[in-house]
Amino acid sequence: MKLRMKKLGALFLSIAIATQLTGCGSGSSGDTKTASNDAAANDAAASDTAEAEEQAADTESEEEITITIWHQSVTDTDPVKRIIEDSVEDYHELHPNVTIVQEGVTGEQYKTKIKTAFVAGEAPDIAYMFGGGSFVKPYIDAGYLLPIDEYLTDDIKEKIMDGMLENCKYNGKIYTLPTITFLANLYCNTEMFEEAGADYPTNWEELLEAVDKLKAAGYTPVILGEKDRWPGMYWYDIVSARQVGNEAIQEAFADPAKFNSEGFIKAAEKMQELVKAGAFNETMLSMSYDEMVSGFAAGQGAMIFQANWIHPNFEDEAAVTNGKVKAIAFPVFADGTGTATEFSGGGTDGYYINAETEHPKEAAEYLAYLSERIGVEGYQDGAGLPCWDASNVDTSSLSVLNQESAELMATGTSYITWWDNILSADDSETYKNLVAELLALKITPEDFGAKMAELQPSELY
Amino acid sequence: MNKILSNKKVICLFLFPTLLLTAVIIVIPIFISGYYSLLDWDGIGKGIFIGLDNYKELIKDGRFLNSIKNSLLFAAFSLFLQIPFSLLLAIIVANVKKGEKFYRTAYFIPVIISTVVIGQLWQKIYNGDYGLLNSLLGIAGLDNLQQDWLGQEKTALICSFIPILWQYVGYHMLIMYAGVKSLSTEIYEAARIDGASNTQIAFRITIPLLKPILKVCVTFSLIGALKVFDLIYVLTNGGPFFSTEVPSIYMYTTIFDSFNYGYGSAISIFIILECLVFTMLLNLFFRGKEV
Repeated sequence: MKLRMKKLGALFLSIAIATQLTGCGSGSSGDTKTASNDAAANDAAASDTAEAEEQAADTESEEEITITIWHQSVTDTDPVKRIIEDSVEDYHELHPNVTIVQEGVTGEQYKTKIKTAFVAGEAPDIAYMFGGGSFVKPYIDAGYLLPIDEYLTDDIKEKIMDGMLENCKYNGKIYTLPTITFLANLYCNTEMFEEAGADYPTNWEELLEAVDKLKAAGYTPVILGEKDRWPGMYWYDIVSARQVGNEAIQEAFADPAKFNSEGFIKAAEKMQELVKAGAFNETMLSMSYDEMVSGFAAGQGAMIFQANWIHPNFEDEAAVTNGKVKAIAFPVFADGTGTATEFSGGGTDGYYINAETEHPKEAAEYLAYLSERIGVEGYQDGAGLPCWDASNVDTSSLSVLNQESAELMATGTSYITWWDNILSADDSETYKNLVAELLALKITPEDFGAKMAELQPSELY
Repeated sequence: MNKILSNKKVICLFLFPTLLLTAVIIVIPIFISGYYSLLDWDGIGKGIFIGLDNYKELIKDGRFLNSIKNSLLFAAFSLFLQIPFSLLLAIIVANVKKGEKFYRTAYFIPVIISTVVIGQLWQKIYNGDYGLLNSLLGIAGLDNLQQDWLGQEKTALICSFIPILWQYVGYHMLIMYAGVKSLSTEIYEAARIDGASNTQIAFRITIPLLKPILKVCVTFSLIGALKVFDLIYVLTNGGPFFSTEVPSIYMYTTIFDSFNYGYGSAISIFIILECLVFTMLLNLFFRGKEV
């Protein structure tokens, strides 16, 4: 009897807790309420200036619109933070009837917040999504995001750099606009190259030659942090791009069986050739990305293949490599179809419009405005490379490496972003593991091709 | 006071906040995970109910079985190396003539250092380029033994176990030390009068009397080993090639890197059940001994 009472008690308790839980669920709507209060406050403050504007400009008397945007640029060192803040004010001056309310949350918290908000139907009109497809894909598949094709004028499209809009398409529809981007280049330590008497490689043979000379001079030719696995993935990304060309890679993503073909297997062979030539540090499997970057900056390797976000590390006052690094395009292969104007990278952080928004047109207009400003001003501030026409930008204040990589980018004809952004999350893990095994000579290039062929088809995005 | 505390309603009132917190933070999420483990779900869209398919896949998953093997191996190391060593230390430190406090503190220091710091520390020790271990081997003239300790499958597993065992020796030592100190001195005096040696005292008196404490330590050590995560995450993150992967790391990468919430939840449920079963087995074992 007593036991039964206890059980009954436990049951009641759990019911009580369950109701508490649901209570919590609806409780979070309080957040949005305060947010909209904020918005109202902003509205009030803004409407004063708006009135003055309206008298002067006498713009069309449209209804007052508030558009909310969530982003994750909150640190003061992030130039995008300032750009967003400025854009909110400037945009209101241009369009007095539109008030933008921005809210920033940092990193991992943002990921949780945005997920919960979309699932609960409380997402903002515009939301930042982390660069690359694998993060945003589930949101598009679930129908949370709005395709913006119909709102894009040719005027806007013309200002976007060639090939960049391709990265914003999913299922043939455009969902976002590019902002700033990152490209991977081969960075060479000029001092080591000089001492070893090596030339900057432009083709495969020269690369192997440089490896030999650097090794002979006692340097680690290439530093690679393969513990985190994605730095090695960058190598296969580019080696296969040089071997088969970006177009063939796109085809292979649509039909992964094509990964099991001569070109991709040859690229895998070249990776192992590099390993056997002693190009990489022997400790690559226990070296993390951070150790790799700081290692290069401390002069522990002569070459590194990475994206331009590492420039600050190499050009830091305290870095051994300060002023001694040169960015070059990855060497081309005589037996390959890829060219030096095809790049690995070009993915972009983007802002996406909520499918539930009440003002899709206005949101899309602001999106275009903001994306261009981040593209141009972000480049000027050294945050990344511009996806928008930045020919008017004064580049004299940019660091040498930023200028060099921008010059390389200006030659670009085609971009394929990091493969782990294209493949589904699960498949990108598989791919990164396969590259690691390839580098450790645990599998043959043929096995590699066969296993890559088992991936799910995915769209370039 | 006694009257108040014997009132069942009052007991309930005092226990309720803790119960509520535990339930909301621990018990209910476990049941929710149990539900998730029956789904094919990427964590964002809609989950598809697939029954026990995740579990069926688990028992065929070589990577998962390997991770269990690793964690069981680690549990064995914990039980048969860490605990006896801690016990030895506890008895020695409790009987040391001078500097008892110093030794006690010294052995306990690793416990209070953050795991991430310990991970970084040992990474530097194991580093293949400039690591302390390789330098020592170089000084000793054993250059041919120098290697990239955490970068090779054959050494990485053992090398990642050692810091964890090392870190918690002090923890178990302190619990046992407290136990040893709480034993009545009269028994020891009696034993000495009867002419027992130190070893005899340790094996015939101290250890049997410590049994309840030992049970606590063994349980902590075993459960800790089965759900170990942090140090391995910092040191190797399961690599190279899953050779140091344990179920909790596999669960983490499945859920947060591969977005396989359903499958990852199935692994988490497995870990919970595994811990429960082992705790029950331990209880049975110790009960059997007491009879």
